[in-house]
Amino acid sequence: MVFTDFSLVVFSTLAQLAVGLTVMAALQPRAAGESGEVKLKVEWVTAGLILAAALMASMFHLGHPSGSPRALVHLSTSWLSREILAFGCFGGVLVLAFLTLWKNSGGSSLLIRLTAAVGLAALLVSGMVYAPPSFPALNNGVPVLFFLLTAFILGSAFGAYFVGAERQGLLVKVLATSLVVGLVVNLILPSIWLSGGTVARMTGANFYGSWLYWLRIAGEFVVPLAVLGAWKKIPAWLPILLLLGEAAGRIMFLNSVVHTATNLGGLY
Amino acid sequence: MSKKQAGFYIDAQRCIGCYSCAMACKNQYHQEPGVHWRYVYPLKEEIYPHRERAWMSLACNHCEHPTCLEVCPVEAYYKREKDGVVVHEQEKCIGCQNCIRSCPYGAPRFNPARHQAEKCSMCYQRLDAGLKPACVQGCPTYALQFIEDMASFDQSGKVQYLAGFPRFPELNPSVRFRPPREPREVRR
Ligand code: SF4
Ligand code: SF4
Repeated sequence: MVFTDFSLVVFSTLAQLAVGLTVMAALQPRAAGESGEVKLKVEWVTAGLILAAALMASMFHLGHPSGSPRALVHLSTSWLSREILAFGCFGGVLVLAFLTLWKNSGGSSLLIRLTAAVGLAALLVSGMVYAPPSFPALNNGVPVLFFLLTAFILGSAFGAYFVGAERQGLLVKVLATSLVVGLVVNLILPSIWLSGGTVARMTGANFYGSWLYWLRIAGEFVVPLAVLGAWKKIPAWLPILLLLGEAAGRIMFLNSVVHTATNLGGLY
Repeated sequence: MSKKQAGFYIDAQRCIGCYSCAMACKNQYHQEPGVHWRYVYPLKEEIYPHRERAWMSLACNHCEHPTCLEVCPVEAYYKREKDGVVVHEQEKCIGCQNCIRSCPYGAPRFNPARHQAEKCSMCYQRLDAGLKPACVQGCPTYALQFIEDMASFDQSGKVQYLAGFPRFPELNPSVRFRPPREPREVRR
C-alpha cells in the first residue's frame, strides 16, 4: 500500500472528532450545578484544540502552505474552497460559544447548538470534496456517510470523558447505534462496489482483500459492540481504540479506493 | 463554452507504440523523472485480444467542462477563450493535489521537486506561434494529430470513447480516436 496522505488522515479524523464532540455537547443533558458546567467548558476547549490540531495537520498536505489563505477564492465551484470556509465558520462559532460559556452570559446553549449545526454542515461540504468523478466508488453520498459516522462514533466515545459515569446513557445509545450502522455499512459497501463497473469492483476487492479492513471490522465494530453490550458504559480505553479504528478506515479510504486513471487501456 | 475547441486526434490504426510523442513532450518541458504529461497506454488483452498490440497516446483532454478547473481552490486553472485549451498556472498552485485526485483521466501530475501539480498545456505558446504541439510534431506516423476546432473535425469513423478510455460525457473530453483494426494475417 502506498501511503502518502497521513496529514489528510489526521486532519479529517480530528476535524470530525471535533464536530462530533460539539454535537454530543449539544445533545447531552448536563448535571446541574458547577461540575456539569466545568465539564462542558473543558469539553468545549478540547473540541477547539482538536480542531486547531486538525487544521494544523491539513497544512502538511499542501505543497505550499503559505498560499493556503488563497484557497478561499474559488467558492463558486470548488468544494475544497467551500470546505475551508465551512471549517472556518465552525471554528468561529465554536470560539464565540466558548466566550459566552466562559462569561456565563445567556445564549450559550443556543450557540452550542449552532456550533454543532455548522459542524455538521461542514461535514457535508467536506464529503463533497472526496466525491469527484475519478473515484466511481465515492462519486456519491458515501464520503458524507463515512464522515458523519466518524463524527458520531468518535464524538459519543470521547464525549464520555466529559460527563460523569452515571450520565453516559445517551452517549452509549448513540455510540452503539453508530457502531451498528458503521458495521453494516462497512460490511455491505464493498459488495455493492463489487457489483459495479471495473474500477468500483477493484475497490471492493481491495477492501475485502485487506487485513486492515478485517482488523478494523473486528477492532472498531465487533469488539466495542460486545463491550457496550456487556458493560453498558464506555470504558476509558474504548475511545482510543475507536480513534485507531477510524484512522485505519481513513487510511483505506484515501489509499485503497481505486482511481479511474489506474485502469486506462482496460475495461471500464 | 469557448468559441473554438482545440483537441487531439489519436489514430490507433497508425500508432506503433513508439513513445515518441511522450518523449517529445519530455524534451520540450523537461519533466521530473517519473513524471509524464503524455503517456502511451497499451490496450489490455481484454479489449484487444491479439498478439499484436494496440495503443492510445493520452495527455490532458482539454475538456469542455474541466473537473480540474472546477475543483482547484485557488483558481490555478483557466480555459482559453480562443481555443478552449485548459491551462494550469504553476505560480498560483499551492500543491493541494485536489485536481490530481479529481481528474478522471489522471492528467494532472504531481511534481515532487516543486510540490505542485502540472499537466499538458497543449503547448499553447507554440500554438500562438503558429506551431503544432510538440507531441504532434514528434509523432512519426501521424497517429497523433492536432484538431484545431472540434466542431469542424470530420467525425466519420472516429469515436470519442475508445474502449479503454473512460466515458465522462459531463466533462466532454476534446479527443477523438480511430479504433484499432483487427490484425491482418499475412500468409506465405
Ligand atoms: S483531462 Fe483532466 S486535467 Fe485535462 S481538462 Fe479534463 S479534467 Fe482537466
Ligand atoms: S494542486 Fe494546485 S492546481 Fe491542483 S487543485 Fe491544488 S492548487 Fe489547484
